Amino acid sequence: MIAYKFLRADGTSPFATFRWDLPDTKPGGWVEARVDPCRSGIHACRPGDLPFWAGDSLYEIEVDGEIVEGRSKLVASRGRLLRPVDAWDDELRGAYARACAERAHELAFGATPPLEDWYAMAEASIDQGAGPIGFVTARIAEEALGPDGHRTERARQAAWLVEQLGLGG
Amino acid sequence: MPEFREHISCRELVELTSDYIENALSAEDAELMEQHLNYCAGCERYVDEMLRTIRAEGRLREEGVPGETLTPIITAFRERRRS
Amino acid sequence: MSPVEQDQRADAAAREEKELLARLRAGDERAFESLVQSYHGTMIAIAGTYVRTRAVAEEVVQEAWLGVVDGLDRFEGRSSLRTWILRILVNTAMGRGTREARSVPFSSLAAADEHEPAVEPERFRPPGQAFAGNWTAFPGDWSLLPEEKLLGRETLEIVKARIEQLPGAQRTVIAMRDVAGCSAEEVCDLLEISAANQRVLLHRARSKVRAALERHLDA
Repeated sequence: MIAYKFLRADGTSPFATFRWDLPDTKPGGWVEARVDPCRSGIHACRPGDLPFWAGDSLYEIEVDGEIVEGRSKLVASRGRLLRPVDAWDDELRGAYARACAERAHELAFGATPPLEDWYAMAEASIDQGAGPIGFVTARIAEEALGPDGHRTERARQAAWLVEQLGLGG
Repeated sequence: MPEFREHISCRELVELTSDYIENALSAEDAELMEQHLNYCAGCERYVDEMLRTIRAEGRLREEGVPGETLTPIITAFRERRRS
Repeated sequence: MSPVEQDQRADAAAREEKELLARLRAGDERAFESLVQSYHGTMIAIAGTYVRTRAVAEEVVQEAWLGVVDGLDRFEGRSSLRTWILRILVNTAMGRGTREARSVPFSSLAAADEHEPAVEPERFRPPGQAFAGNWTAFPGDWSLLPEEKLLGRETLEIVKARIEQLPGAQRTVIAMRDVAGCSAEEVCDLLEISAANQRVLLHRARSKVRAALERHLDA
């Protein structure tokens, strides 16, 4: 199964110290781990999970063996990085942040009364990276549209990413 | 069954930090915590501070024991192990 | 760390302990001294939660070490050496605590503690505001501090002093876990408390030590 994985710029996982064997012209080596969600296992994103874990660099990962699907991620017993998703660059990260901020503006000022204080946080988050601005926008959607707004907005962000990154999802 | 939560606040996160480090959170809480850490630099710092605090605590173990305390214990060891 | 690496590490620790035990039984003073160096401070902290004064705690720990020396040949290796030593200490301290009429069941000490937030509520946006419960200002970034500042004498003194001021049960748990390096299971077993209770005590203790360090480092 093909999935996606965000890593720090140095090739380590954000929530572990493990350093991945990065792909160049050929895939990186297989990594194996016991599956125990959030504790152990190869954690990866399905396309719809991308906005929750947006980070420095993005890779396509092949996962195999035992696979447990969670709410915002999957956990597998085997995985190897296939290729970097080069489209996830500074330019696209910037475009994503701007798209989120515009959406936050639309949601905040479309609400009655307008959510000015909430929008102020979106403005402050625009330069903080894809993670913060994505969350703040989804949180504003929840405030403006009700409890389901959060999840719906995350799905919208995922669709934007899949399209702009040219992912098969 | 309680409805699944979409997010937790920073104020809630600090109460889960030690259990997170202990690997003692439910998979759902750990997922919410890691999502939060992905978008909140403040909480990322908080968790980092907690890890550094624990590391500093571990250093206390390397503290020297004063000679006047150590000597009688070592003497007892010498005498009793010989007999 | 992968599960395989964890297993290898556990094997190595078990081998080291076997070697250490053989040296102790052969009367190797240097091995014994390093053992005392490793655990004495923690043992004082633990003993201090059972008896009234530092002087009595010192006596209890001395007595416990004599128990260790005498018992070395009887130690069967069913628990780790560390657990065995701490069990002798806890039994010695409890015996002494009873004579001093200060023996409160540990579990009641642990439960009597009411809710105390890990971080003052004023540091978060108040309820009713946008993004309620989020930081008003982020905590400091300790990764920017030099190592000497974080692990230097002055900082460690603050950690030590804060641990010493903790309520008894919190102090014992943090001393066993974070200072002595015991596992959660070992601590539950030694103190006869539940896993949940152990975690709550550890959480409260760690939160207070972190707060004390924050006051020092961010000042």
